[in-house]
Amino acid sequence: MNMKSIELPEKRALGNRAKAELKAIMYIVPFLIPFAIFYLWPVLRGTWISLHVWNIQGMQRYVGLDNYKRIFENSDFYKYLWNSFYFVLIGAPTVIVLGLILALIINQRIWFRTLIRSAYFLPYVLSVSVISFIWLKLFDPKNGPVNALLGLLGIHQDINWLTDHRFVWWAITIATDWWTVGFVMVLFLAGLQEIPQDHYEAATIDGAGTWSKFWHITMPGLSRVMKIQVFYQVISCLKLFGQVQIMTGGGPGDSTNTMIRYIYVTGFKKDMFGLASAQSIVFCVIMLLIAVIQFKLTDRKD
Amino acid sequence: MNKWVLNIIAIVLAVLFVFPLIWMLLVSLKPDGTNVYTMSDWVHFADLTFSNYKKVLTGSAILRWTWNSTVIGVITTLLSILLSSLAAYSFSKMPFKSKGFLFVLITSGLLIPTEAILIPLYETTLHLNLIDNMWAIILPGLTNPIGILLLKQFMDGVPKDYIEAAQIDGSGTFRIWWNICLPLTKSAMVSVGIFFLILSWNNFLWPYLTITSEENMILSAGLPTFLSNNNMSLNMIMTASGIAAIPTIVVFALLQRHIVQGVAMSGVKG
Repeated sequence: MNMKSIELPEKRALGNRAKAELKAIMYIVPFLIPFAIFYLWPVLRGTWISLHVWNIQGMQRYVGLDNYKRIFENSDFYKYLWNSFYFVLIGAPTVIVLGLILALIINQRIWFRTLIRSAYFLPYVLSVSVISFIWLKLFDPKNGPVNALLGLLGIHQDINWLTDHRFVWWAITIATDWWTVGFVMVLFLAGLQEIPQDHYEAATIDGAGTWSKFWHITMPGLSRVMKIQVFYQVISCLKLFGQVQIMTGGGPGDSTNTMIRYIYVTGFKKDMFGLASAQSIVFCVIMLLIAVIQFKLTDRKD
Repeated sequence: MNKWVLNIIAIVLAVLFVFPLIWMLLVSLKPDGTNVYTMSDWVHFADLTFSNYKKVLTGSAILRWTWNSTVIGVITTLLSILLSSLAAYSFSKMPFKSKGFLFVLITSGLLIPTEAILIPLYETTLHLNLIDNMWAIILPGLTNPIGILLLKQFMDGVPKDYIEAAQIDGSGTFRIWWNICLPLTKSAMVSVGIFFLILSWNNFLWPYLTITSEENMILSAGLPTFLSNNNMSLNMIMTASGIAAIPTIVVFALLQRHIVQGVAMSGVKG
């Protein structure tokens, strides 16, 4: 009857701790619910689906690792994986270098600074379909202004930007860089503004030139932002989909078909959910490996 | 001399950057079927007309899509900020045992992009009967942990004294969040919000898969249907792009300082 009054203090403390624990978790639950349903569950479910023949109607039969075997035996997989990596190799470095150059320009005391910064950043707020539409037409071989401008510069060839496999990746890169370079620039700008001004003043007194200041003060000062940028750009290049879907449809032939588009076609055009899930997992593991490698490489430098 | 060269480079680049947008607007304002190719076409302003805009606005569901994109963007952004702020508050200000585990679990959301879980996500959406429903876009949009990470950093900066003082005054945890943490992280919430709004507005692949009717379509995913419509002229396609781009450009012009700052903050810290 009198249990309450003789309850041990430790026990009460335990009860209070459990209450505090519950209370803290309660504030996270609203986020956790959609997170569990639309992230954690699909991640687990995808692994399960990948072990089956599965289509829009649902599970057909269990096939073990057959889907994975099929992926690695299909030469298309290596082709599209290479395409995705190819875009990382040309897309990521160009956008980072361009973004850095624009940031260095804006960081100087130039005329109309805010206006010019806005001009560089503006394309980033447009959606992928708008930018793809615009560049689809800008690259038109007969009536497009890109070839017209090249004509003004003395290059009078009708370059088939989007249907010639020699140019198509550059066309996609130009469109993508134009679209996203403002984002890169803004991050570098924030990084530049964190470098203390007196480092430059001290270097000037020591007689350092512009180049030497750039390599010994600016670049080291930007190393953190640079790391984040490389990381982010590699992933976002690997995720390329909208631009190729709208501008080339993966063509000419299948020269701009990327991994994401491969997964999309396998799953939603060919109705092979099992195989597409296995492809997603393989691609995901590859992305994670790249992330780990980048982490290890940049960590060693510090 | 050096100064001049730099300024000229900056201006030439700026002109190159806005040229595609100017060209889009110019072509959209030319009569249907007009080609804009040579230099003289570009500077020939006499025949500019709004007739293409009238045709696209009345002949397609583009206004409806703009509205859908806006509604989805606003709901996703507001809900994301709210859920992120609550969770960030807990992670930042409350000691509890499963904190470490939950934090790692939630940050793992940064590792796997939506693109990599398309199939099971689609299946889940199908089972929940959300295909062709705006919640199919909103709900998966709420799983991005970046808001929690950013807001937690800002909550960490809220002084302990403030919170202790409020506790002495008898405020409960919820009131402390509402009265102290929320107002003190306002600027961070605006930044995170802008970041989420841009993400939502530009979301392409997922809405493209899950929205099937013309009426529920959003702008980014609906626009490509103009291309599959073969009798669309260049002028009409650029008009559709223009209608999709103009609201964004106007909002950007009005809020450009906040937008640039917001993106910089989310990007650097994230």
